[in-house]
Amino acid sequence: MKRIYLHPLPLRIWHWVNALMVIFLIITGIELRLPGIAGLSANSTALLVHRYAGWGMVISCVFWFAYNLINGNLKRHYIIRSHDVKGILRQVKFYLFSIFKGEESPFRRSPEGKFNPLQKLVYGAIMCIFSGVLVVSGVLFSDILFFRRYILRLNIIKMLDAVHVIAAYVFVLYLVVHIYMSTLGPRVFSHIKAMILGYEDEADEPEMIAVYEQGPDEPGATTALVSSENTVACQECHTEGEGTNIDG
Amino acid sequence: MGQHDEKMEMIEPAVRSFSLNHPCSRRQFLKVGGISIIGISALGPVLARGEARPLIIVEQAQGIVVADPVKCVGCGRCELACTEFIDGKASPTLSRIKVDRNLNFGPKGVFALRQGQGNWGDGLVIQDLCKQCSHPVPCADACPKDAIVVVPPSNVRAVDPEKCNGCKICLRACPWEMISFDPDSNKATKCFLCNGKPKCVEACPAESLSYVPWRDLRNKAPHRMTTTAVTLPGKAEACQECHLAGAQKIVGQGIPKFFGGVKAGRPSSLRGSGFKWIDMVGTALLSIAVVFVTVHGVLRGVVKR
Repeated sequence: MKRIYLHPLPLRIWHWVNALMVIFLIITGIELRLPGIAGLSANSTALLVHRYAGWGMVISCVFWFAYNLINGNLKRHYIIRSHDVKGILRQVKFYLFSIFKGEESPFRRSPEGKFNPLQKLVYGAIMCIFSGVLVVSGVLFSDILFFRRYILRLNIIKMLDAVHVIAAYVFVLYLVVHIYMSTLGPRVFSHIKAMILGYEDEADEPEMIAVYEQGPDEPGATTALVSSENTVACQECHTEGEGTNIDG
Repeated sequence: MGQHDEKMEMIEPAVRSFSLNHPCSRRQFLKVGGISIIGISALGPVLARGEARPLIIVEQAQGIVVADPVKCVGCGRCELACTEFIDGKASPTLSRIKVDRNLNFGPKGVFALRQGQGNWGDGLVIQDLCKQCSHPVPCADACPKDAIVVVPPSNVRAVDPEKCNGCKICLRACPWEMISFDPDSNKATKCFLCNGKPKCVEACPAESLSYVPWRDLRNKAPHRMTTTAVTLPGKAEACQECHLAGAQKIVGQGIPKFFGGVKAGRPSSLRGSGFKWIDMVGTALLSIAVVFVTVHGVLRGVVKR
């Protein structure tokens, strides 16, 4: 096991501020959607909270995009390359089947590429398409005289509304899965802890053989090197049970 | 035969002038056909608009009277001018600009005393003026007789005295209590900017009042009271031509009321309208996702053990 610094501080702050706003937006959004917006007065709490959180969301999305673009994160973490296409299928297969067999994820994270191909696809779609659609249609809703004129003239408010709601449903759908997937780490809260502290525990590549070949300087050093987790990697070559008393 | 040709020579120009039986190319046929189809289909909404449809004001007002409290001396000449010129009598309670009622204690009334505004407080005299509200116009939406109408060219919201029946609902609907009521004629009345030449502005000796292009002052002035107005059911249905389908009543503020609203759902009269299928598909997908995630989690726990 090694600890790698995956999530830089600005992104961690962004993530949790964004999460708070999304929760507000979803709660007030349901309140606006289910009983209907037509009968609400212009200064009802739900409408105001939705509006201000929405403007916060605009800022947050712009920040996210600008930060990741300038940092090169967008290029590093989000662009799907040709070899990732197979990785998406492999990842889906892992989450649907092999995770029950206790296998490790086929993807190894590093600061150079912290998302697996499936994450790349989903996060990219959510941030670039669905958040974009939500934010743009939301801004169009927000009673700006300039847009209002055209919306009334073209009579597209129902269409905008449908687009906004569909994107919102996709977002909530994603959120359910996102929250569940955050518990798939080594421990239930380890991914969430990583999102707060920035350090993610990552299983090593099976490199034990290379360490062993150097030869221990002193007796006993090997036992220190081979920690209990890594003996699993040993067993890929050795027979089972051999690793436990490897210097025995 | 000769006679027949003569006849045809006479008939042909006549027919051509009516452009019946005229040789018609395919292009012309499609053109005329298309135009008439569009025209006839456009007739539907046009004719439907002729029916008694609840009036919803969407147009933006062009002008507004604004006041500078610092310059105001509280002389009340604006109120005099307002009622003198429009109603032919001096009656400050009927005035559409309201200075007198705020003169001593400001909009918060007597209980604000020296903490308030006006001559007993900070000395500022606060003028209450019609905000010429943009789209959801509270007074117009509450009027059961559609008596509050838009008058071009300044798109001012004015009471149509022919339609007003003096029910006083609009008096409770305005968040700033700006609608006046004339007991003599039993009609409500409100600021209509004197059709673009406000008499109060002309009468102001302190240059406190000015007539300017419309700006949104609705969020600048605190509400005087909680509005008891509810958008009328017929109008709320008309709202749904632009907005989402939904209930007519204010669903309320606060989490308990929110859950009440969710539980009650949409009123049965509107259940068929709106984008219900989006909600249906969305809810179905969401429940599938939740069930899937739960099963996945449980399976994982079982297998690990």
